[in-house]
Amino acid sequence: MSSIFAIARRDLKAYFASPRASAIFWFFLIFMGFFFNNFIGLFMQMTQQAPMMGGQAPTLEQLLKALFYNLHFILLLVVPAVTMASFSEEKRNHSIRLLQTSPCTPMEIVLGKFFAAASLMALVLVASAVYPLFTVTHGNPDKMVILTSYIGLLLLVCSQIAFGLWVSSMTSNQFMAFLFTMFGLFLLLILNWMATNLSGGGIMESVLKYLANSDHLDAFFKGTLSVGHTAYFLVFTAMFLFFTNVTLDSQRWR
Amino acid sequence: MIEVSSLCKNYGDLAALSNVTFTVEKGQIVGFLGANGAGKSTTMDILCGCIGPDSGTAKISGFDITEQPIEAKKRLGYLPDVAPLHHEMIVEDFIRYVAELHKVPSHSIRVRVDATIEKLALGDVRKRLIGNLSKGYRQRVGLAQALVHDPEVLVLDEPTEGLDPTQIAEIRKLVRSLAGQHTILLSSHILSEVQNTCDKIVIINKGQIVKQGTYEQLAAAMETGHTYKLKVARNGANALTTLGRLGLQNLKAGSTDGDIEFAVSATTGDQILDDVAKAVVDGGFGLRGLALKTRSLEDVFLQLTK
Repeated sequence: MSSIFAIARRDLKAYFASPRASAIFWFFLIFMGFFFNNFIGLFMQMTQQAPMMGGQAPTLEQLLKALFYNLHFILLLVVPAVTMASFSEEKRNHSIRLLQTSPCTPMEIVLGKFFAAASLMALVLVASAVYPLFTVTHGNPDKMVILTSYIGLLLLVCSQIAFGLWVSSMTSNQFMAFLFTMFGLFLLLILNWMATNLSGGGIMESVLKYLANSDHLDAFFKGTLSVGHTAYFLVFTAMFLFFTNVTLDSQRWR
Repeated sequence: MIEVSSLCKNYGDLAALSNVTFTVEKGQIVGFLGANGAGKSTTMDILCGCIGPDSGTAKISGFDITEQPIEAKKRLGYLPDVAPLHHEMIVEDFIRYVAELHKVPSHSIRVRVDATIEKLALGDVRKRLIGNLSKGYRQRVGLAQALVHDPEVLVLDEPTEGLDPTQIAEIRKLVRSLAGQHTILLSSHILSEVQNTCDKIVIINKGQIVKQGTYEQLAAAMETGHTYKLKVARNGANALTTLGRLGLQNLKAGSTDGDIEFAVSATTGDQILDDVAKAVVDGGFGLRGLALKTRSLEDVFLQLTK
């Protein structure tokens, strides 16, 4: 247990010792700001036009939902950047020997790396809360929806990190790790839309749709917390952490 | 303390190790000698659990590295050929991190870190970034990494590689001072290093152990008699012909005029040296020197790995 903590703490410090952490914060917050600014403008315009056009004025919840949907796209670029170095970098500069020769099980190493990346992304999410909080101070959105949306985003990020770690554990090339993680995460996002074309309907379609993460995330953005959708993300995370463990263990035998 | 028995490892069709067997007793320093690519690093990586063997076993203090890796690794300190360092950390933090990784109890981490820094004379640089240190200091931090948890067994893969002569001398002194408290396996392709530092030598070539024993044993095993160097003042060529009649073995002229080398087999005995001296003096060649040419480890090594 103590070594999980030691590895996680060192890795988290290493993110901040290099420009990587600040670049990630900047990238995430600036793009989220662009989206937020854009949506607020649209929101104001529609609110003003609604009485004249005779339609319903948009709600703040709709604004936030649109914002959180777009975060998924930013995460496609940010999460691979966080996880790409986890194992690749250590392999490249040979510091992986330190972990391999220490009395730690591969699972402790994987969990240490996972918690470091997850803490970094949790901090990014906390920082990003400034935008939803802006709507709270200037309006009256449903605070529970914001909370469940953030729980959903955290679960999503954890599953993405687990996938990224697995990819990173298989290569010593950071760029390849980045590319393949992004490719895989993108596939998970669009699988929902491609399901019909890929399967031609029937049971296969519902299986593919279940595998995609967008529907599961949707439930959190609507303000509901369900065991089923939470379990999807937890099982996904656990599964890829286990795969990473297997990859690390098997590399000794090549 | 270290028991390696019939290790085999193939990389594809290439047999990196075949049937490697040796042991290192408690408190010994054993030199693991081989040319580049002979299989030293592979053996050490297997011994430290970084890669798995195809067959055979490696035991650290009685714990099999594949069966009980955690127990074995607790008793092991490893400095690989490239020191595993995090360049963005400061020396002190890095050593503390390694201590935590090796599950040193939290109450004694401070003491262990301070003791290690003192032992390796890293006090001046303890607050500096590892990435900014010179190669010699980095190598010492690498050693600190292997020593901080006070392991019973130390495995050092070419610890003096790429250092300047002063630093090499320091590291050797340090390794020497660690003997007794730790069991050390030290690899090198520099012969004098092994000859000076180690109690026992294991020579590996093309993945096979060719010879092991103390330096004296190895040298003795190679002896087929003694080789002598004779130096005369003048007429070296004539001296050679004169000596030719005495029935000496491997009689040949040396590099400069007047230098003559010859061997005396064990059966003939050293009495023949009297005859040699007499022949030189009687012939008026002027005896300037007659000395036993010692075999350096280099000769032994070259002959064994031929």
